Amino acid sequence: MKFVDTVKRAGRNLREAKIRTLLTSLAIGVGAFTITLSLAAGSGGRSFVEELVSANTNPRAVYVQPKQDSSIPGAPGAGGVQEYSDAPSVSYGGGFQLTLMKESDIAAISNIENVERVDPIYNLNAKYVTAEGQKKYQAGLNTYDESITLEYAAGTGDDLANNEIIVSEDYLKPLGFTDASSAIGKSIAVAVDNPLGVEKLFNFTVAAVSKKSDLAVSGSSDLTINGTASKTVYEYSEQGTPLEKAYMGATVITSSEDAVSTVQSTLKDQGYMADTAEDLMSTIFTFVNVLQGILLGFGALAILTSIFGIINTQYISVLERTSQIGLMKALGMRNRDIGRLFRYEAAWIGFLGGAIGAGFAVVLGMVANPYITDALDLGKTRLLEFHVWQAASVIIGLMVVAVLAGIFPSRKASKLDPIEALRTE
Amino acid sequence: MIEVKNVTKAYGKKQHEFIALDDVSLAIDKGRSVAVIGKSGSGKSTLMHIMSGLDHPKSGSVLIDGQNIFELKQKQIDTFRAEKIGFIFQSFFLEGNETVADNVSLPLEIAHVPRSQRKERIQKALESVELSDKAKNKARNLSGGQRQRLVIARAIVNNPSIIFADEPTGNLDSQTGAKIEDLLFGLNKERGVTLVIVTHDDELAAKCDVQIRIKDGTIQSIDYAKELGDTSNKAKEGEPA
Repeated sequence: MKFVDTVKRAGRNLREAKIRTLLTSLAIGVGAFTITLSLAAGSGGRSFVEELVSANTNPRAVYVQPKQDSSIPGAPGAGGVQEYSDAPSVSYGGGFQLTLMKESDIAAISNIENVERVDPIYNLNAKYVTAEGQKKYQAGLNTYDESITLEYAAGTGDDLANNEIIVSEDYLKPLGFTDASSAIGKSIAVAVDNPLGVEKLFNFTVAAVSKKSDLAVSGSSDLTINGTASKTVYEYSEQGTPLEKAYMGATVITSSEDAVSTVQSTLKDQGYMADTAEDLMSTIFTFVNVLQGILLGFGALAILTSIFGIINTQYISVLERTSQIGLMKALGMRNRDIGRLFRYEAAWIGFLGGAIGAGFAVVLGMVANPYITDALDLGKTRLLEFHVWQAASVIIGLMVVAVLAGIFPSRKASKLDPIEALRTE
Repeated sequence: MIEVKNVTKAYGKKQHEFIALDDVSLAIDKGRSVAVIGKSGSGKSTLMHIMSGLDHPKSGSVLIDGQNIFELKQKQIDTFRAEKIGFIFQSFFLEGNETVADNVSLPLEIAHVPRSQRKERIQKALESVELSDKAKNKARNLSGGQRQRLVIARAIVNNPSIIFADEPTGNLDSQTGAKIEDLLFGLNKERGVTLVIVTHDDELAAKCDVQIRIKDGTIQSIDYAKELGDTSNKAKEGEPA
């Protein structure tokens, strides 16, 4: 019998036992449903992470920190008593020290090939922010980072001058502005203490008002100033301490995305800890993948169960159709073709189950997506992301599984003695 | 030409062995109609199964046109049955949920007849049993006589040279039975198809060229009731006709 004829006959045979076929496929459908959903959640999760990371990082950036010697004292495997080092560091309780980057480090990194510039990370501490005739408010102060996507209610943060500042819209009312656009061009003051507790007011002109972003992690900063201004503020606040001209880390901007990995390995060779945006992403990806793996495991379990369903159904079908098998053998159908007929029937069941499960998952996902996004506050992101190739490979995969499950019943069919088979009436 | 030579068939093992056919020999010329007559359990169905290569004998051989079919590989036996033999089983074995045309199509699909030729051949087969108008009906909606005709259409659609019919009129009233008989003998006369009818109906047997009586696995007699030329009415057991 030819392929097409066998497939058609197999399909017709199944149609004769509609309920049974449907019930068996539903068992597979549960697995297909779970797997399709978990694949969709995985893709959605990964693309959400990707959006999140790219909104907060620069693909051309390498995040550098000095290598820390040893670990927390007293922790298992810690190296015991540490030798004193003259290098600038921050001391925490228990003798734990955080090694910092020096100006010389910054200069050395700047000389690495393909490095466009090095932005030290300034740990800025504003005492308060205020405007003329207003109260003093606590506020976080950050350095402007072009790679972090900010949304503006008014003005723009691009090309921020040394005396300009971006203010979060949360601070409009407290600082006495009626709306975002009226704040532009106005002056506000940021107070900073030096190590001796002497307060100094830095005056800035409002260049832009930032909106809260769904994706920004650190972008929720209250006040943002440019690098040069940050340096000035930082140097004032740390003057005379070991932290003066020493930094927690630095952002290295490379000349192109292609250069990132070579710059990263050069930095690692020179004894720094260096992470790219991609590294940060892959760390979060790991979590998404683990979660997806767990879901996939449940789906696989459901499919494992349904395999026995297929075997059972097909086995009963062989017993019921003994005389049909006998007739086909009498008419000269080869044992191999008989076996194939039953395996194709199993494939049909797999296809049906896969299509039902995947289809149901897609429909449910479409309906549920807006609610999930709402509940988790994800902005424009869809947590469940369906791809045609994923659904297709789920269906094809299940057809293969079904055929494998159909091997045992189909062997039973092909080995039937035609004489015995024709005797049953 | 079908030649059966010293065929013995036994079921069961050793002490419980049951001899279904005991050293049976016979020969059937091409284009003859032959009746194999016997009570149930006499071995007539076993003989039919062995002659068509469905069953294997314990010993002996079956030569069809000089070729011992038990020397062929299983694949070749299957092809031989698909192309040369038509079966009419007592209990029809129709697919009730399939259409009349799909039932007739089965032997063609098995014999790898190209799709382009199938439709025409199915149409022809159905015409010759007067079922063309039922082609799209489900087989289960047919009457007894129509089903029997459908079974015949299925048997003749691959233009076989031999048709084996097991009690072809057994389940039918005499009027419908007569119609079926006409159809079968018509095929025998017009197309020269060798017709082997297994029956216990003496009336039907009398219409055949040769009657082979079988009892307890041995041939009792071979009669040439309507012998062409040969006037001797009896042949000895085991003697080729």
